[in-house]
Amino acid sequence: MNNFKKIKKWLISLGSPPLFFKLATKILSWLYPISFFVVLIGLTWGIGFAPTDYKQGDVYRIIFIHVPSAILGQSVYLMMAVFGFICLIWRAKLAGMFLRAAAPIGASFTLLALVSGAIWGKPTWGTWWVWDARLTSTLILFFLYAGIIGLYSSVDQKQKGDRLASLISVVGVIIIPIIKKSVDWWQTLHQPSTFSITSAPSMTSDMYLPLLTCVLGFYLLLACILLNRLRAEILARERNTSWVINFLNNK
Amino acid sequence: MKEKSTVLNWFILVLFRDLILSFKRIATFMIPLVFFLIVITLFPLALGTENSFLSSLSSGVIWVSALLASLLAVESIFNEDFRDGTLDHFLLSGEPTFILVLAKVLAHWLVTGAPLLLACMISALFLFLPEALFIPLLVSLLLGTFLLSLLGALGGALTIGKTAILSAVIVLPLSIPVLILGVAVITNALNGLDFISYIYFLGALVAIGIPGICLATTEALLINYE
Repeated sequence: MNNFKKIKKWLISLGSPPLFFKLATKILSWLYPISFFVVLIGLTWGIGFAPTDYKQGDVYRIIFIHVPSAILGQSVYLMMAVFGFICLIWRAKLAGMFLRAAAPIGASFTLLALVSGAIWGKPTWGTWWVWDARLTSTLILFFLYAGIIGLYSSVDQKQKGDRLASLISVVGVIIIPIIKKSVDWWQTLHQPSTFSITSAPSMTSDMYLPLLTCVLGFYLLLACILLNRLRAEILARERNTSWVINFLNNK
Repeated sequence: MKEKSTVLNWFILVLFRDLILSFKRIATFMIPLVFFLIVITLFPLALGTENSFLSSLSSGVIWVSALLASLLAVESIFNEDFRDGTLDHFLLSGEPTFILVLAKVLAHWLVTGAPLLLACMISALFLFLPEALFIPLLVSLLLGTFLLSLLGALGGALTIGKTAILSAVIVLPLSIPVLILGVAVITNALNGLDFISYIYFLGALVAIGIPGICLATTEALLINYE
């Protein structure tokens, strides 16, 4: 119980921008090299050493970028909803900043997933785009990100923008399952699925392991970018406080 | 001295105030309607006028136009009251904001959604939709436009004081299920399949949306006014 209280206290103290800033700086000093290292290992392993696919040839290797970015695009939205919830209920300043830090990254990863998917689709399916349920819902996810970014950047007061963006990301995460389900129905209504990503041959471990490494590396990289963007956001918002002025003078 | 009023009185008060205001200002309900008819007219001009081709597209065309018309009409829900300061008084009055939102959504639907239903029937004639499909179209639009009014209120409350186009960008992705379900009703009716279940589903969304989306809208208003 005592330990639990200590952890709770520590977590709450993390909500203070100067403390978080110091911690983030400390973490980033070793997390950056590690994440680059893991991504590098994953990509070299996947692109250089994993066996060639018997059906698709070497084209399939784009999977090592496509799948991690698709996973990240979705999980960033989930994180935004969680932090949006925290921002709405406890009015935590840092949670709101997290939203601003995360939204453009999530949008970029979703876009990367769409673009890499299109590049992968051209040689294998013979077309850049298919109105497949998963592709369509990823595209909609991208539009949701665009809406959130548009909303908070149109509001002048930062805190208000944070809270409005939190609200729409929480609402969005509730509606996303309905969107997904309805897109699936639409798919079965309008056209039989000609191409399916899920029916790809099940992977062998020498393809699966590098993919897993890539996903892990991308997550670490995401953490780095997020922490760094949060640091920048904290500095920008607290620029009139004494600790930021001290910090910048000592640089 | 402040008069004591029940929740229902407050609801009726806001509803009738909004209705009277919009009937005095004809533009409020005419412009979305004309916009809808213009968009409908664009489709045959762009796609060609062959009867069978247009009739196969008509349900989708009508639904997309209704979506655009009702989401671009969100200005009248909160923005006008925001500009002249009425909304400030509403929120300061101490009456429940949730009821205010509900009344305003209903008024917005009666003013923009209900006339749209009529216009949809006319444009269904223009686009050669088979007559057997009129009832499914009407029912799906009845539920669908109400959902769109709810979503439009959320967008309007989030982007209060800003352009309707921003609110459309935020709300359009969220309104995709409404579009899909609404078109599915007509497609299934066309193919002689079961379409009642999709109508039930739209009804279920309305039932969840009235408390859920109104709550989010209330929260958005309060954030904007804190």
